[in-house]
Amino acid sequence: MEPNLATYLGLSGILFTIGAVGVIYKRNAIGMFMCIELMLNAVNLTFVAFARYYGDVTGQLFVFMVMAVAACEAAIGLGIFISFFRNKISVDVDDASILKN
Amino acid sequence: MNTILLQVVNPNVNVTSILPEVIVAVAGTLVMIYDCFAPKQKIVTGAISLVGLILATIALFALWSGSYDFANAWNGMVAFDNLRVSFTLVMLFVSAMTILISTVWTEREDVPIGEYHSLLLFATVGMMFMASGNDMVILFLGLETLSLSTYVMAGLRKSDLKSNESALKYFILGSFASAFLLYGMALIYGATASTNITEIAAKIGTANFPALLLAGGAMLLIGFGFKIATVPFHVWTPDVYEGAPTPVTAFMAAGPKAAGFASFLRVFVLGFPVVAGATATNYLHGSWVSALALMAMLTMIVGNVAAILQNNVKRMLAYSSIAHAGYALVGFVGAGVAKTSEARDGAINAVAFYLLTYAVTNLGAFAVVTLLGEKNDRRTEFEDYNGIGFKAPVLSFTLSLFMLSFLGLPLTAGFIGKILVFGPAIQSGEPLLTVMVVVAVICTAISAYYYLRLIVVMFFKERLTEWTEPKIPITLATVLIITVIGVFGLGLFSDRVLSIFKTSPTATKAQLK
Repeated sequence: MEPNLATYLGLSGILFTIGAVGVIYKRNAIGMFMCIELMLNAVNLTFVAFARYYGDVTGQLFVFMVMAVAACEAAIGLGIFISFFRNKISVDVDDASILKN
Repeated sequence: MNTILLQVVNPNVNVTSILPEVIVAVAGTLVMIYDCFAPKQKIVTGAISLVGLILATIALFALWSGSYDFANAWNGMVAFDNLRVSFTLVMLFVSAMTILISTVWTEREDVPIGEYHSLLLFATVGMMFMASGNDMVILFLGLETLSLSTYVMAGLRKSDLKSNESALKYFILGSFASAFLLYGMALIYGATASTNITEIAAKIGTANFPALLLAGGAMLLIGFGFKIATVPFHVWTPDVYEGAPTPVTAFMAAGPKAAGFASFLRVFVLGFPVVAGATATNYLHGSWVSALALMAMLTMIVGNVAAILQNNVKRMLAYSSIAHAGYALVGFVGAGVAKTSEARDGAINAVAFYLLTYAVTNLGAFAVVTLLGEKNDRRTEFEDYNGIGFKAPVLSFTLSLFMLSFLGLPLTAGFIGKILVFGPAIQSGEPLLTVMVVVAVICTAISAYYYLRLIVVMFFKERLTEWTEPKIPITLATVLIITVIGVFGLGLFSDRVLSIFKTSPTATKAQLK
């Protein structure tokens, strides 16, 4: 079968769902962050698929922006995880439990 | 295809149209560079930041009242309308006040002050682009510039576990929400083949995949709902607000919320209008209006009821900020159902005015909370406010005034703000919207309990431990004077401020011609 728009959209939808479920299911902050990256890449796939479908470059340009932002997010996220790890010796989000009702 | 290539080769670069943003960005960069050479300084970076923000405000007013034709600036990626200018004004004000409030904190604790000021300015640039972006690319980049800076600001107290935890939660949930927002943008792009809001509004009636339009709208609703902290996407708010340093909390409750509303309004009210004869589009419009009306009701109920149960003042103010996002959403829905473009702009102005009154009140209240909080914000429980009423009359009377303004007592800013945002929703006459306003009024009555509780605690409770009144530094005194004047000024002379907000930049241009 020749891959068409629906194939790519289906794949990106599946990837996005895996990422979203992973963020909810995972307890390790770095694992959660990887799932978020997976979601962002699913979005990139959607953008590229539509850009190809319409023959329009805007979607591809948007992907560059998303990639740049994802890189910044990784830098800042790891910084935050490290400062948390220094105090708690853990990156488990269940250990982030001082602030509660 | 050819037009796109031409645009790529020959972009319409118009720096004047984004002058306020450029000024703040330059100030942020200057602060960062200066900090490398003089890391021990205390006031220079703050002064540079304030000068930058004031210059940006002047530039904003010059743009507002001048005659410019920015219709094609940056190939239509930058908007130039009421929505942009009024919200930008709110953001610049919030940022300047935050810098003044932070002086107490930066002196008390060893904060890397240059870093903090540059992050705050970059966050401000992000917020301003969220208001001025007329293209989803700009909105996304503005949002991320803002979010990445605020994640770091929340965790700036590096050795404090609360602050670490606040930054961690904010980061994970914030990026999670960004991913949803982005997926929504991708699906809308897929349905309309454009990322420009004006073009989307024009093409939405003949969208290629109506189902994608609905899914995209839902995803955008989730993403923006997270950013402005509406129920059911509010769970991060109390934890993040409590753990972050108090001045940062003051900033987060007022600034990013206003920025989120600006983008949210632009995408939904201006981007997803009613199109005659287009069933799917009108279904989208109807569904987002009812979804937001339900969210507004839930937000007001949950925010106010949960605020009653809190024993920490910062947490109480966090729930109060959720509740206030709900009140602002009432105005948002009013803008959504407006029949004419005048009524729509009026409702948008009302939301901007409401967020300005909230920002003024909120910054004043947090200024007092910062001063009373002592090192590492130890003293932020309700019992820490016991009996300080007559021992620190200036602080406790101003804090009481802010509580009354939050509550919406007549003569204060909060009262006029509430009247203005509830107005458009009542005028529409739709049953769901009428119910929403009734809920809003009942919730206002509920909120009296916890706002007045703080006043009662301050004036009528006995204090058992030793306590001396903290000295009010000059910067904080400035903030208190400005916010108290703001609370009464916006309450008594609201029509003047609103007439400034109503002055549309394009209308001025037409008059001059």
